[in-house]
Amino acid sequence: MSTAAIPEPASKVQSLRDVVAAIPDGAVIGLGGLSMNSAPMAVVREIVRQGKKDLTVVALVAGMPIDWLAAGGNVKRVITGLISLEGFGLAQSFRRAVQSGAVAIEEYSEHLLICRLQAQAHALPFVPTRAGIGTDVLGLHAASGTVREEVDPRTGEHYVACSRLPVDIAIVHVHEADVLGNSRVNPKLIWMDNEVVNAADRTIVSCEDIVDTASFRAEPWRTTYPRYMVNDVVHTAHGALPTSMFPSYVHDESFYDRYAQASADPATFAKFFRTNIVEPETWADFLAVNDLRARTRSAS
Amino acid sequence: MTTPVPGYDCTVDELMVVAFSRTLPADTRAFNGAVSFIPACAFMLARATHAPDLVWAAGSIGIDAAPTQIPESTLSDGIWEGSTMLSNSPFDFWAHAQGARYNTFSFRGAQIDKYGNVNNTVIGDYAKPKVRLAGGGGMADLSIMIPRIMLWSTTHTPRTFVDKVDFRSGLGYGDGGDDRARRGIGGGPVTCITNMCVFGFDPVTKHMRIDSLHPGVTFDEVQAATGFPLPAPMGDIPVTPAPTASELHRLRTVIDPHGARRREFA
Repeated sequence: MSTAAIPEPASKVQSLRDVVAAIPDGAVIGLGGLSMNSAPMAVVREIVRQGKKDLTVVALVAGMPIDWLAAGGNVKRVITGLISLEGFGLAQSFRRAVQSGAVAIEEYSEHLLICRLQAQAHALPFVPTRAGIGTDVLGLHAASGTVREEVDPRTGEHYVACSRLPVDIAIVHVHEADVLGNSRVNPKLIWMDNEVVNAADRTIVSCEDIVDTASFRAEPWRTTYPRYMVNDVVHTAHGALPTSMFPSYVHDESFYDRYAQASADPATFAKFFRTNIVEPETWADFLAVNDLRARTRSAS
Repeated sequence: MTTPVPGYDCTVDELMVVAFSRTLPADTRAFNGAVSFIPACAFMLARATHAPDLVWAAGSIGIDAAPTQIPESTLSDGIWEGSTMLSNSPFDFWAHAQGARYNTFSFRGAQIDKYGNVNNTVIGDYAKPKVRLAGGGGMADLSIMIPRIMLWSTTHTPRTFVDKVDFRSGLGYGDGGDDRARRGIGGGPVTCITNMCVFGFDPVTKHMRIDSLHPGVTFDEVQAATGFPLPAPMGDIPVTPAPTASELHRLRTVIDPHGARRREFA
């Protein structure tokens, strides 16, 4: 019996507008990427454009996407280990929103968050780590007990128990997906996106290209996420800009620089944010308005 | 901008890189985080001089990287150039960090206190912060998992070097003495290299103390720039040794020809 005779399930490909319209206000979303790398920026921008409200966002180490969501008034709570624009300074909209109390921050370290996501993914009450012992990070969660220091009764070793972190929707960016949701990061997943995907109830994958399922069957060892982990596929070429998508393009220095400069003054930034980020109609328009292209390091 | 070191044929960024490099033993297995130009230079310099077997995971990802130039971000893919392997964060990096396959990490912060605890979370009260900083990221993890912590600072002022950090994002020696051991944790900060001096830690009290002064800097000047009392010097404090011509040549022409290390002196 040839593989061609096997009936295939329905396509999961959706428009950017529809995939975001289905995200309910108040949802807990988990973002892929790390710092200036591989964030699903096209989906994040659409969340801003549609004016989603009261989101809780889980992002281990991030900057630009959280700053957009803070500036857009879309987020009420950020669960994170670090938010900055790295060498371009602090994420100023996020900083202002936290200092004014408009956005709450639920703060962990990277590994405490990874362990909370792993506990969720494995459906375990907690996952242990040595992270955080002796720091003030554990004290922030004394009341909730989401992370807590304990002693192993057998060995006497100290560890921190990290409780489950429920995530409604993971949003990650990949190089290639088929219409069924099989997805791959090409050449290989480097960041911690799989921890968010494995913890989430649903996953939205945005991709550089849609490819045939045959290309996954030809090289199944290169698949990053199997179709049963992926609920929605949205085609957004250059969808991680201005963050990088290794090795296809680097993060856009010029955009980060302009963004950081505009951020210094709230009024200047409000205009920049509206004109350059919110108002461009399509993702292609956004890229054009900001001169964002797939630049590689040797050519940049 | 960075300043010339009196009597030495180098600037203070170069002196810091060389002092950092010479502190690294031959069995160093290190990685770097964000805005870590001086450590990245130092790991490469040590590998090119006295520690050929040194392992450096560039940006915590690129094993044995040999970038032809250090990019604008020490966590970006440009720093992976020449790597023999790109690690996956959860499977490779975190297992090798918590399992102490790596033994050396380096971080800085907005505040560093007398016991080497580091704050990069908030200035002021946590609930009503005067300044909301970036957050600790992996500091709370790696300051416990990695036995040899190298601190550095390019802003040696009483604002950076404080008696007690406002928030303990990364653990140094905690409350000092055997505080780490009581929590079942080994290791701790080995050194703290600043633009004025090299700090070490008293083996018993774990209090920060001056190991060497950079040329032209006095104890009193360091004390004035430090927000807690330093132990009085026992005799003459050594001067941070001069870089060799070959170390400087290597740093300037091969490792960091475009001077990325000076980005930390904005």
